[in-house]
Parts: sequence; C-alpha cells; structure tokens
Amino acid sequence: MMLEVSPPDTAAAPRFPRLRALLEPWVYLSPTMVLIGLFIFVPMAIGISYAFQNIQLLNPFDTGWVGLDNFRTMFDDRHFYAALRHTFNWTATSLILQFALGLGLALLLNREFPGRRWVQALVFLPWAVPAFLSGLTWAWLFNPVIGVLPYWLTDLHIISEPYNILSDPTLALYGPVLANVWFGIPFFAITLLAALQSIPKDLYEAAAMDGASGWQQFCKVTLPFLAPMIAITVMLRTIWIANFADLIVVMTDGGPANSTSILSSFIFTTAYRKLDFGYASAMAVFLLVLMTLYALVLLRIRHQLLK
Amino acid sequence: MRYPKRHALLSALALSVSLFSCAGFAATKLTLVEVITSPARTEMLQKMLTAYKAQHPDVEIEVVSLPWGQAFEKLGTMIQSGQYPDVVEMPDTWQGLYASNGMLADLEPRLKSWSGTPDLTDKTLTMARSSGGTATMIPYGFYLRAMFWNKKIFQQAGLTDAPKTMDEFMADAKKISGLGNGISGYCLRGGVGGTNAWMMFMAAMNGSPDFFDKDGNSTLTHPGAMKGAQFLVDMYQKGYAPKDSVNWGFNEIVSGFYSGKCAMLDQDPDALIAIKNSMNPDDFSVAPMPLGPNGKAYPTIGYTGWSMFKQGKNQDQSWDLISFLSNKENNLTWSKFVGTLPIYKGAEQDAYYHAPQFAGWFAELNSPDYIPLTMPTHLKGWGYFNSVIVKDSSQETLLGQNDTESMVKDWAKYLTKEQKAWLATQK
Repeated sequence: MMLEVSPPDTAAAPRFPRLRALLEPWVYLSPTMVLIGLFIFVPMAIGISYAFQNIQLLNPFDTGWVGLDNFRTMFDDRHFYAALRHTFNWTATSLILQFALGLGLALLLNREFPGRRWVQALVFLPWAVPAFLSGLTWAWLFNPVIGVLPYWLTDLHIISEPYNILSDPTLALYGPVLANVWFGIPFFAITLLAALQSIPKDLYEAAAMDGASGWQQFCKVTLPFLAPMIAITVMLRTIWIANFADLIVVMTDGGPANSTSILSSFIFTTAYRKLDFGYASAMAVFLLVLMTLYALVLLRIRHQLLK
Repeated sequence: MRYPKRHALLSALALSVSLFSCAGFAATKLTLVEVITSPARTEMLQKMLTAYKAQHPDVEIEVVSLPWGQAFEKLGTMIQSGQYPDVVEMPDTWQGLYASNGMLADLEPRLKSWSGTPDLTDKTLTMARSSGGTATMIPYGFYLRAMFWNKKIFQQAGLTDAPKTMDEFMADAKKISGLGNGISGYCLRGGVGGTNAWMMFMAAMNGSPDFFDKDGNSTLTHPGAMKGAQFLVDMYQKGYAPKDSVNWGFNEIVSGFYSGKCAMLDQDPDALIAIKNSMNPDDFSVAPMPLGPNGKAYPTIGYTGWSMFKQGKNQDQSWDLISFLSNKENNLTWSKFVGTLPIYKGAEQDAYYHAPQFAGWFAELNSPDYIPLTMPTHLKGWGYFNSVIVKDSSQETLLGQNDTESMVKDWAKYLTKEQKAWLATQK
C-alpha cells in the first residue's frame, strides 16, 4: 500500500499560520519589551538578588549568598516594625489630608469666579518647589528661633509652650506630614478638577429639576463620576507617599529616637550609612511586595467601579 | 612606491603621538574632592588653587565639591565606580575606613624629604599617623572642644565665672534653668554629631581617655563612664537643657547659644565664626572644659586634612599640591578661615589667635590637666556608630524610652566587636 502524500501548498500562505498569528504582535512589541526588560526588569532583578546576598561595603571581601538571612534579620528587628508602623501612619495621614483638601480645592476651582486662572496657576506652586527645598523651609518654620509655627501652635493650645515639634517624638511625624500635605494638594486638585470638568452639565440640571439638593447632587452625580479617577489617583499617591522619604530625611532625619523613620528612610539609612546593601534590599523587596499587593487591590476596585 | 607611502603614514602617526603626549605632559589634570563645603569655603580654596596654578601653569585642577550631608555616600560611590580623586579632603572619621582598606597613599617617604615637616607639631604628626601608624593624611587643623559661656545670663543667675568642675557645671546649669523664660543651662546636642559630648563626659567621669583595654574590650561600661553618660541624661531629663535639644545638630546648638536660649555650649573654634557675628564679644567667653573627679578633662579633638589615593595617577603632582596647601603661610590662612587651630609650632603667637576668646583653647593645649580625646576613627564601623547608632539610641534614652545602662552596654558591645576585628587585622 502506498501512502499518498499531498504536495505542499505552493501559494504564499504561511507554513504555520496559527503560530505566525500568535507571534506577530510579539514581534512588533519586541523593541519595547527589550527596552523595558533592559531598563526596568534587569536592574530590578539585580536589586532583588541583593536581598539574598551579604553585601556590606565595609567588608567588601565577605560577600556571598545567604538565602533568607536578611529577611530573618528583618523580622527580628524592632526598628523595622517601628518603621513599618510609621509608614502606615505617614501614608494614611498624608493621603487623607491631601485628598480631602485637594478635592475641596478642585470643587472650588470648578466654579467661575474672577481671577480663577490666577488662582489655578498659584495652586501649582508647591509642586514646582524641589522637595529638598520645601523640607528645609518647613524645618525652619518649625524652629522657634526663626520660625512662626511654634508660636501659632501655642496660641491654638496645641502645644503648651513654643518649642520645636520636630524634637517631640509624639508629634515629630506631623511636621513632615504637614509639609507633605502642602506639597501634595496640587496633584489631587488638578487631576480631580480635570475629572470634574468632564462631567456633563445637563446631569446637574436634570438633578436640580428633580429637586436634588447640593449634597445629593454631589453624592449621586459628582462622586460616582469621579470614583474611577479617585481610585487611580489614590493608588498612585499612596505608592508615591509611602516611598517618599525626602521630606522626612531633610526635616528630621528619622529622629528623634527613630520616631519618624519610615521604611524608605530606614532603607536609605541602612544602605548609605550602615553601607549594608543586602539588608536594605531585603526591606526594599518587602516594600515592593506590599505596594504591589495594594496596587492590585485598588485596580480591582477601580475595575468594579467602571462596570 | 609603497615604501615611501608607508613611511609617510608612520611619520604622521609618530608626529601625532608625540604631539598628543606633549599635550598630555603639558597639562596634568588633578581632581580635588572637597567634602566640607560652603560657598565661601570653596571660594577660599579656589583662591589658593589659583595661586598654585600661577606657579604651575602645566597643572589643571578640577574641584569636586560634595555637600557634607551626602559627602560620605557620594565619595564612596565615586570610589566604588573606580573614579579615584587625586587629592581628597579627609575627615578623621573616614580616615580609618580608607586607610585600613589600603586605599590611601603612604606619605611617610614624602614627609621625610619635605621642608615643612620639622615645624609640624607632634600632635599633627600623631593625627597624620593615627590609622595604623603610617601617615595617610596631612591634617590642616584641629577642632578642640572648649566651653562657651554667656556672661550676661551667668550674671542674671548670680554666677561670676564658668564652671571649673563637672559638679559646678551641673549646679550652674540648674541655677540658670531656674531663671525661667525658656532659658536653659546647657545647649545639648542630641541630634547629628552628638557623639563627641557623650564620649567626652564619659571620659571625664571615668578619668581615662582610653576607649579599650589591651584585649580590645570597650571601657564604656566602667562605672565611671556610665556615670558620665547618666550625667548628660540627667542634664536633659531634669530640664537643664532645652526640650528641643534632643534633636539639635550643629546649627541649632550654635543658634541656641547666640540667641540666649541656653547659656553653655561645648564647641570647637569653628563655632566662633557664627557666634562672633551674632553676639557682642563682651557678652561671652570660652573657658576650658570642666574637670572630672580626678582633676582632668578630656576635650575631644577632631581634625581634617588632605590625603591622596594610592590609585591616583599623578602621585608626585598630588603631593606637590598637598604640600602647597599645607605650607605654613597657606595653612594659617586656611585655619583662620575655617576656624581650626593651626598645625604648626608657635602658631598661637599669631595676632589673630591672641584674641581673648582663644584663651580657653590654648589653656587646654598648654595644661597637662587637659588630655585631648581622639575618637577611635580607625574602626571601620565608626562612621555608622557615630552618625546612626549613638544618635538614635541616645535620643531614646534622653526621652526615657530606654535606660542609660542598656544604651551604654549596646555601644560597648558594638565597639568591642569592631576593635577586636581591627586588632585581628593588625596581627
């Protein structure tokens, strides 16, 4: 019995049409993927690999793989837990105040009033000041020798006498928080204002005709439209704030007695003062995982809101 | 026909090589890294370098100014990536790290043939050799601790003179703090750079400038030293130092003193620059540090100087520049400008150092009762101990979150480990 072999299709049709169709988009994407891989994933992988090694610049010849040792040290370190607690406090307080004040500002700027353009431009001002400089300025404002804030806080009966709250372990964190709120309001104000302006005006007219009060209009029209934007801005800001140690390093350097050290400032100190890059990387990996989980949750919420 | 062509090509090549090498010879490029910077200081350094370049037209000097706050990390990063500066301003606190890693050039042979060497004070040479016994830097001046005191506030409190002993120091601080109006006795430095005060008071109460016994065990846990640490804790907790001072660094203590918030300040001559500008010279004076129970005081001595890296390519030229910056005339100009005590014998005869405010420092330098305390900067981990461990843990203790004994025990444990590691490398 002979096998009949059909001759190959002589037309230009591809040999493996399915495979080609599958590969084609990846071929087009490949330059981007190579670039992303090279500039984002390779350094990140190297950084993550440090977390499993002993890399202390003071002992350059005592290096090598140590497995999970750095993580074990981390979970035994009371300074790490303190920094983690301060990170939550710093992030939540800064975020809530930035968001509430930013939203308020956006609602105000969404109305017509004389000189609105000027006000809108001014709102951007804190964003234009380098973080280092605003940290220094705020640190000076809290200094009772040259600043006014201690006297105002005393007049408001928040503190008993004019002293520097940055030296008080129970209040010190609120110094950088205040500076951070000042610095971060413009972000929420501008992004939420843009979202507000995209809500069709006739919805408000219809709601008004139905007899909805201002508060009801805000709850039933404004908020649902803003929700996806809120979810994405809150997610971005949370990650930025949690990683943003500049103001803390400039204003308090994590002190007094570590009362203002957050994870990212603690990582900085461990890497660049203790020169222990292995341990610093382990904490950085922990922070990365924490932030990724948080982002996943918020993206899920945003997805639900868009439905 | 091919030979002449090749010949021409070769000659052109030879010519260009010789031209390039001539150019290379004509301009040696030196990199100088300065790490304690301010615009005025950099300008002063540039002025001295311009004078040097006028004498050496074949030398180009690139100055890299690193702001002090990030200097340690930045210089570390430069060196990690193989960019070795030729000349570097080397603080005592880093000398141990770089010298024990074998990165600094040995200056002994150069000191032997240098005309300036015989005029250097013994202290200068001791400091130059403080890491491992070999000279790895030429100090440009000393920072010696003495006690600034505010005459006006003392008068208000019914006091006439600066405290002479530790007991008087505590009693005076108490009396002054009793004046009220937010005035305290002592400008405590609880924040960055506070280590010197802790070590100085611990040594004074312990009656010894030694940090370690011969086996490398830290002496900080000796009962006397422990008393010294408790002395500072009491000073703060009893309210004889401002509440804010738990976080004060250099700028805060100095401004606290000249603004009259606190009446006594232990500081180096460089603080005099700011204080002189903001206070009437009759309102303050500088006294030697208070004596401990054994009749001796141990004011800390710090220094910074010029070093060169072994890996630098222009060793001879780098040394030439260092010896120029360190010559008698330039050193005196520089010392006066940055506020240090000069490195040459007989410098106190200079009119500038005759001012009454300097009397306290020269009294310390000339009396056997004052033994300068040098920090164990030869330890690799000293930088971290000094800038992070002491700051964080002493703040905890001052604020009552920890007790003095366990704080000092932690310090001793860390230093013992470091010293033993260092001793092991010396065998």
